[in-house]
Amino acid sequence: MVTLQGRSLVGGRGIGPALVTQMPINFSAAFGRAANAIPGHRSVIQDRHHELFKKNIRGKVLIFPACIGSTFTGMVLMQIMYKKEAPVAMIVQEADSLLVSGSILADVWFKCGIPVIEYKSVDIFDKIRNGDIIEAIGDTGEIKIYRETTQ
Amino acid sequence: MLNGEQGHVIALALKTLVHYGKAFGAQRLVPIKSAHLAGSFGSISYSAYYIVLEQFIKAGLRVKVPTTINPRPGHDLNLLNRIAFGKQNALDFKMQQLGVTPNYSCVCYEKDNVPNVGDCLAWSESSAVQFANSVLGARTNRNSLLIDLCSAITGFTPEFGYLLDENRRGKIVVKLNINKMDPSALGFIIGRKVVSKVPVIEHYNFSRSDLKNMGGAMAAAGGIALFHVEGLTPEASDMKAAFAGVEPESIITITQDDLNAIQTRQTDCSDLVVFGCPQLNLEEACLLASKFSVKRVKKPAWFCMIPADKINFEKTDLYKKIRTADIKVYTHCPLSALTVQLRRKRVLTPSGKLFYYLESAEYADLDNCIRACEA
Repeated sequence: MVTLQGRSLVGGRGIGPALVTQMPINFSAAFGRAANAIPGHRSVIQDRHHELFKKNIRGKVLIFPACIGSTFTGMVLMQIMYKKEAPVAMIVQEADSLLVSGSILADVWFKCGIPVIEYKSVDIFDKIRNGDIIEAIGDTGEIKIYRETTQ
Repeated sequence: MLNGEQGHVIALALKTLVHYGKAFGAQRLVPIKSAHLAGSFGSISYSAYYIVLEQFIKAGLRVKVPTTINPRPGHDLNLLNRIAFGKQNALDFKMQQLGVTPNYSCVCYEKDNVPNVGDCLAWSESSAVQFANSVLGARTNRNSLLIDLCSAITGFTPEFGYLLDENRRGKIVVKLNINKMDPSALGFIIGRKVVSKVPVIEHYNFSRSDLKNMGGAMAAAGGIALFHVEGLTPEASDMKAAFAGVEPESIITITQDDLNAIQTRQTDCSDLVVFGCPQLNLEEACLLASKFSVKRVKKPAWFCMIPADKINFEKTDLYKKIRTADIKVYTHCPLSALTVQLRRKRVLTPSGKLFYYLESAEYADLDNCIRACEA
């Protein structure tokens, strides 16, 4: 197990498989489509400009460089958290007001926010691979990486 | 207020802002001059948002500062939209109860909500945030929908990010190697390349409309909340001022090829051509209308306008001309109106913002879009 130390943005603890992208995410474009209104499909990325197009991020620890785009973002994120279809944690290289808002709104109003950690160094993309089990501890900013070693 | 002596709900609104500020190291909350809200779509999908709104209303809260709101979503356009945006009338009524100005425009900064240089604001709507910061020299973060309302209700915003001098200086120099300027395409490319830093574009004599369209595209393809143009925008009298004497992190060059790359070659394949994202003002609508030369357009076309400006546009001969040519003039947000479709319309637009968000949109510059309508 490897532990990385990031900066805590929103508290809580989440554990799940890593989903890594090096492309910034526009959550409004990703989750603001008619297709996202269907239960079970709320967290399927519907942004054709993104490499995770058609991927469901529910239950994942999402690792990405930055959050871009519309100010709908906070509400869109709050909604998927409220409907229990959100990732279990988010780790971002560059914290952004909209991303953090989503989880804070869900936390204050519905007590269902997810941990958000900022980890600035680019080595995050070397240290974490898709499918690694990640434990994100929002209160301390710790990121624990569990990988099954294959011989 | 935070301890609940003014009521439980306003305490939660303030707690939201305190947590939001703490995440970014804000030392205090500061009073705001105005707010602008993005939450104007009565979509049936956003249940959590309405639950919070309902709590505000039950608690009898009203906005404490002048507060404007984004366009309506085109809820009355067709049956499908009437279903998808079935909560529109209820939402409009809620906003009225909260004391929000019913301007229904993302271009709130022309008449209804005009900030001065240095004013602290709590705005959402990425294109309006961009314009307020970059062109008007006011100060707002890229606030999320609902954070905007928490600020409007309490009258405060946490002091961090673009409210502070040190975060407003330029980071990246953008050099231009362009023969045919297309501000909207340029904004799209800058958004992609700069992502969320503060770009300083070398001098070009952009018009106010150019800055609006370029900024809107930058804030969709990227997360930019503030840009400077050398010798044009208020905080960039020259390069030195724009960078506050600090060396830029990097220099990028945007070329004609970059702009050409996002242009579709098949402008004749589209089903609909949409102008006005962000919404057109009166002057822009008149200029655009004057560029049409045919008696009747061959392809359906929409002008999306600021509601108050549409009323004045209707009094002009140019309005009669384009209505005769069968161009529709609307006041709703074209993006939301076209999000719900049974048969996907191929949309052509000169808006970098609409191009980014609308799944079925292709981009062409203004001249090519007009040509596509007429051909």
